[in-house]
Parts: sequence; structure tokens; C-alpha cells
Amino acid sequence: MQKGIIASVALSAAMAVGLCAPARAEFPEKPVEMTILFGSTAQTIGQLLAELMSRHLPQPVVPVARTGAGGAVGYQHVHGTAPDGYNIVWNSNSISTVHHGGGLPFDYTAFAPVAKISVEVPAIAVRADSGWETLSDMAADIKSAGRKLKVGASGRGSFTHLATEAILAALDLSDSAIHVPYDQGRAPVELLAGRLDAALQWPGQFVSHHEAGTLRILCVTSAARISQLPDVPTCAESGAGEMDIVMWRGLAAPAGTPPEAIARLEEAARLAAESEEFRKAAQTIGFEVEFAGHEAFGELIARDDTIIADLMGQLGLTEQ
Amino acid sequence: MDLLLAAAQVALAPAALVAVLAGCLLGVVFGAIPGLTFTVAMALVVPMSFSMETAPAIGLLLGTYIGGMTGGSVSAILLGIPGTPSAAATVLDGYQLTRRGKASLALGTAVVASAFGGIVSLIIMVVSVDMVARLALRFGPAETFGLLVFGLSTICGLAQKSLIKGLIAGVLGLMVMTIGIDEMEGAQRLTFGTVVLQQGVSLLVAMIALFAVPHVIDAFVQHYAGERKPQEVADVRAELPSIRDILRDFWLMLRCALLGTGIGAIPGTGGPIAAFLAYAHARKSSKRPERFGKGEMAGVVAPETANNAVTGGAMIPLLSLGIPGDPATAILLSGLLIHGLIPGPMLFIQNPGEIYQIYLAIIVAYVAVVAIQLLGIRFFVQVLRVPAHLLAVAVIVMCAYGAFAIRNSVFDVVSVAVLGGMAYGLMRVGIPLTPIILGLVLGPAIERDFRTAMILSEGDPSVFVASVPGAVFLGLAALVVGAQLLRSIRATLSARRTEEKRRASVTPSE
Repeated sequence: MQKGIIASVALSAAMAVGLCAPARAEFPEKPVEMTILFGSTAQTIGQLLAELMSRHLPQPVVPVARTGAGGAVGYQHVHGTAPDGYNIVWNSNSISTVHHGGGLPFDYTAFAPVAKISVEVPAIAVRADSGWETLSDMAADIKSAGRKLKVGASGRGSFTHLATEAILAALDLSDSAIHVPYDQGRAPVELLAGRLDAALQWPGQFVSHHEAGTLRILCVTSAARISQLPDVPTCAESGAGEMDIVMWRGLAAPAGTPPEAIARLEEAARLAAESEEFRKAAQTIGFEVEFAGHEAFGELIARDDTIIADLMGQLGLTEQ
Repeated sequence: MDLLLAAAQVALAPAALVAVLAGCLLGVVFGAIPGLTFTVAMALVVPMSFSMETAPAIGLLLGTYIGGMTGGSVSAILLGIPGTPSAAATVLDGYQLTRRGKASLALGTAVVASAFGGIVSLIIMVVSVDMVARLALRFGPAETFGLLVFGLSTICGLAQKSLIKGLIAGVLGLMVMTIGIDEMEGAQRLTFGTVVLQQGVSLLVAMIALFAVPHVIDAFVQHYAGERKPQEVADVRAELPSIRDILRDFWLMLRCALLGTGIGAIPGTGGPIAAFLAYAHARKSSKRPERFGKGEMAGVVAPETANNAVTGGAMIPLLSLGIPGDPATAILLSGLLIHGLIPGPMLFIQNPGEIYQIYLAIIVAYVAVVAIQLLGIRFFVQVLRVPAHLLAVAVIVMCAYGAFAIRNSVFDVVSVAVLGGMAYGLMRVGIPLTPIILGLVLGPAIERDFRTAMILSEGDPSVFVASVPGAVFLGLAALVVGAQLLRSIRATLSARRTEEKRRASVTPSE
């Protein structure tokens, strides 16, 4: 009996040591899983980032798509995993839009920021034959005609919808506009076909038509012009007053992840983001590489969350 | 011409050819295995294509796409389980042909029809990409809604014995797809406050559940209840169709190829709709419509031609406007983007060489697919020698894996089990499953286009009949439904009359 107890104590002690030992070893010891929340460009960038990060880590970073429900499904999955650094999420402002829209019971504080990687800047486009060169042209025309502006963006509560509403508010067009929700990729076509007056989407969807001279990108919603479209003015230049609306993407881990693991991932992410390949992809896919470490990223997330919550509250989009 | 030759040099280089071949093989295998779909195959090859040269990368992706589209017919014909949603219409007659011992003949015909549809759509794309793209632009939400309603009306033809049961099935399909987040308003529907239900039921998951699970349960029930079925599939000879067999349906193939290309060119439609419309068309234009559903070869030819013609059709808006028409072309789009090819009007001006490479890769892919499939038929049909209950075990494992792989979600595996169990119950009470899949495919698109059209018209419903295509399609749909209603009413009346007559003739003798 006594022997049995001693044996089991010895065994559990040995097991405890055995279990602790790997934690002291260098992170990462097994593949890191990167949850991807959306399809299309978000997925493409995420897959590329994972591949580039793998080159700077002893273990691969494996991109795993967990799409659906505006990102809620993926956020919930990562939220439920152990905070050991082996589960990270390729996140974006969607953490704020989904939470305030009532899709998720927890907010950004459930995650520890790892690094900011890139930003995407929405652009607003009109048909080239509309005669509108600036936002002010458009606003003046709509007001004098006394009709409603039909503007296409993604679904209600999505980031492009929020950006659209912000522009409309700046132009004092909030009450004389109709938001037509489109899933990704269809708004430019509807604009070309003349069923919409304007569309707000990611510039990649407009660029080819812009160059071909069928559509005109009026402006981008960031504070400064973007490298992909150096000739396109910002919305502030185009008549929307002060405006800085960008969507960031980055990496986050469940809150409580050890700082060493975060530092290691941050370093790999920095090397990946600064690589030539990533910059080239940014040009063709249409995003800006904008790396920031975990501290600056955390501040950005918190600041953006307040802004998004305010905006959604004004538009009556928050779930109370 | 120089450009074409230069493109040929790149697209027909060994590395590119191997990539196309590998893609086709992978696509056919994923398409052919029930549960695994080619969307999963494409998601697997995209990261691989990142580090490849442009031509092999395009070839790999296109090969997977095309191989998967044709591979879906293999399990549809052999097992009655479509490998992709586009092959759901092929099950109707293809599986019956297998039960009559004509599996290899049906497989051979299907692959030839597929290649024919694909090549015809490619030719149309090359010749008239601009014109078709401009026509497709005129298909707005209201017109697309009309087309989709017309597609939904083919439920009448699929309902087999009872129109009511067909309608019940169709509505069930429409209802299942309302679960989850409504993308337009962001509202949660039927989620019961949970996050997992917000993702809704994936079309692929529902398809696996509807077709595969009832088969599996049926196989087990029959095995353990000791019901010895008469050997259904005695003949597993690999018999290939003769040229004459194929030429007999030439005009049907041509019509279905045109139909498939047209539908493929309209964003937001896709393979399943084209296949069902083609099937309905084949039956309507046939001299012996009563044989459809019992193993008519034209019932395989029509949907297979049409769903492959969609591949060429879908390339039109993808390349010329930069809009992906379905999940598979969306993956293709990201593959092109990473290699610096931005689809849209400028692609034809800035990268004409790459455009030719794409055309050539499609041709090579179809040649490869025909070769792979014709060689593979003798192996595929061996599956029929495996006892049904053992095959069922393999199928259920693949289905669980396939359902999980779509979006790495355990919820989807559970959905397959739950929906599959329900599907088995529906099958036992005689509710046909095919209209359900039609409801699943068309439901979200119909709802989206209806609502978008109403928003655009500021609530004026006349928008649906304001344009010629919209009015024509809605009119056709009304015609189909009206004719079917009349027929079923007449059938009930005449049945009642014969009943009365019989009674009348019986009474005097009593």
C-alpha cells in the first residue's frame, strides 16, 4: 500500500516534470495554426504570410480557413484554444464590427496582439461617363437633382458599409442615399451596368476598370494616398472633410499567451512582412504593408474599437 | 500569331504540361470520391501554386477545376452520390444506368459530353468574350431572379410521382439555407443565440448529407436485415460508347453546351443550375420523356455537357470583368492575382500572352481529362464489385472527412449526420431528394437577387418584368408550373372518373 502511494507520487512527479520540460524548450516545437477568417484576398494574403513566416521558424505556420459569420466562427475557435502560442488568428477590424454587431459575446480584449501586418484602404468609384470628378461633384449633382444616390457596398454592418456611411455623412448625403448590399466582387459589375451610381469596395476590384477608362476611382478613404494608386486623391482632398478609414490586418493570439511566444511570432511576422515577395504581392493584390509590433498594434486595436463602436451606435447597428 | 506561338511554347512546356496533368488527376480523384469535392482540392493546390512559375501555376489550378468538374460524374453514376453539386442532375439517370449494368457506357458518354461542353464553351469564350461579357452585364438582379425562378420551376419535372411531395422537398431545401447570418442585413436567423449556427449550412455539406448518408444507411439496413438484394450490378465490363452513340445526341449536346456557357457567364448562377435546366430541356425535347429517370442516356449527356460548359462560361466574367462566378473560380482568381495577373479589361491588353496560355491550358486539361477518365473507367467500375455494406463504411469515412475539410469545422460533420438522418427519413416516406438540392442551390441566390432588385427599384415590384429577359423567364416559369398543375389536376380527375366508372360498371352486376 505504502509502496503503491510512493510509486504513484513518484510517477506523478515524474509526469509533472515530463510535462513541464517541453515548456522550457524553444518555442515553437510543433506547427503553429493560423486561423483565417475570410475567403478571397484575406485568405490569399494569410496563406502567403503563413508560408513566409514558416521560413523564419523551426516549425511551419499552417493556415487553416475557418470562415463564416463575418469572422465570428474563427474568432470563437481561437478564443477557445489554449493560450500557448500555437493558435493564432489572422484578424482585422472585424473583431470590432462583429462584436458590436452582436455576433460575438467577447471583444478584442480576449486576444493578445502579436503584430500588425497590413492595411487595406477602401475606394469609392463611379462610372467614367458620370461626369463626376470629385465627391463634391457627386454630392452637388445628387442634391440639385433631388434624387437618391444608389451606392453599393458589402452587407449592413460590414466595414465597407461603415466607410460608406461615414463618407455619406461627411457629404451630408445620409438621407438621400440608398445602401445596396452586395457580396464580394459584384458591386463593380452593377456599377458598370449602370444599376448603381457609386460603389465602395477594395481598390483591387476597380483597378482594371479604372485603367481601362470605364470606371473612375474618385478617392481612397485613408489620410494619405496609397502606393497602388498614387494618382487617386484621398477622400479629404475630394471633398469629404477629414477622413481616415482603413482596415488593418494582423495577427493575434488568445489572451494570456506567454510573451516569449508572442515575441518569437512577432519577429517571424516582421521578417515575412518585410520580404520582397510580400511587397510584390501587396502591389498586385492591392494592400499596403504596414508592420507594427504588438504594443503599437494593441493601442491601434483599442482606439479603432471605440471609433467603430461610436460609428455603429450612430447608425443604429449595435446590438443592445 | 507570334503571340500564340510564344504562348504555346510556354503553355506546352514539360513543366506546364505536368502541372495540368497533375491538376486533372487530383481533380478527377477528388471529384470522384464521394464527400471530397474539387473545391477542397483547389484550396489544397493554391498554396502550392504560389511558388510555381505562372504557366504551371495556372495549369495546375485550371486542371484541378476541370478535372473536378468532370470527376463529379463518376460517383454520381456509379454510386448515386454526386461528387459535386453540379453533378446532382447526373444522378437521376446515371445511377439508373449503372443499375441496369451500363455503368461504363454511362461514364464514357459522360466524359465525352463533358469535354465537348468544355471545348465548345472555350471556343465561344475565345470568339466572343467581349460581347458575352457585355450581355452578361445586362443580367442584373431582377433578370437573374427570373432565371433562377425558372430554374426552380424544374422541380415540377423532378417531382416524379407527387407534385406535393416535390414541392415539400423544394421548400425544405430553401428553408435549410436560411440558417445563419443574413449577409445583406447582418441579421442572425435561426441561430438560437449560438455562434456555431451563424455559419449556416454549407451547400457542400448539405449535398453530402442528402445523397451519401441515405445510401449508407440503406446499405447497412439491407445488410443487417438480411434482405438479400438480387445482384443488381452483375455486369462490370468496361464497355466504351461508340462514336455513333455519341453523335446521336450531338444536337442535344450542342444546345446544352450553349446553355451552359450562357449560364456560366452570368455571375451568381453556376454549374448546378445549368445542369438542372439542361436536364429539364433534354426531357422536354426528347421523343420519349417517360424514360427519363429510368436510365436514359440523354439524361446523363445533357447535364454533363452543360455543367462543363459552365467552366468556359464562368471564365468570361472572371477574365474580362474580374468577378468570380462561384467558389471554384474565386480560388482561381486568387491564384491569378498572386502571379500578378489582375483579371479585368486590362488583362487582355497588358497580358495577352497569359490569356492564350489560359486558353491552351484549358484545351490541354480537357484532353488530359478524357484520357484519364477513359483509362480510368475500367478501374472505377471495379468499385461495383465491392459489397455494398463495406463500400458504405468507406463512403461514410470520406464524407466525414470531406465535410470537415470544407471549412475545418466539426459543426459541418455534425450537420452531415443530422441532415443525413433526416434525409433518410424523407426518403422512406417517399419525398424525392433531388428537389431539395435544387432548393439548396437556388435558395440563397434567389433571395439575394430578389432583395437586391427590390432595393434598387426602391420597392417597385414591376422591375421583375420591366426587362425582356426577366419577363421571359418569369413567363416560362409560370407556364411550366401552370402546365404541371393542369396535368396533375387532370390526372386526379380522370383517376376519379375511372374510379366512378368502375364503380358504376360494378354496381349493376351486384
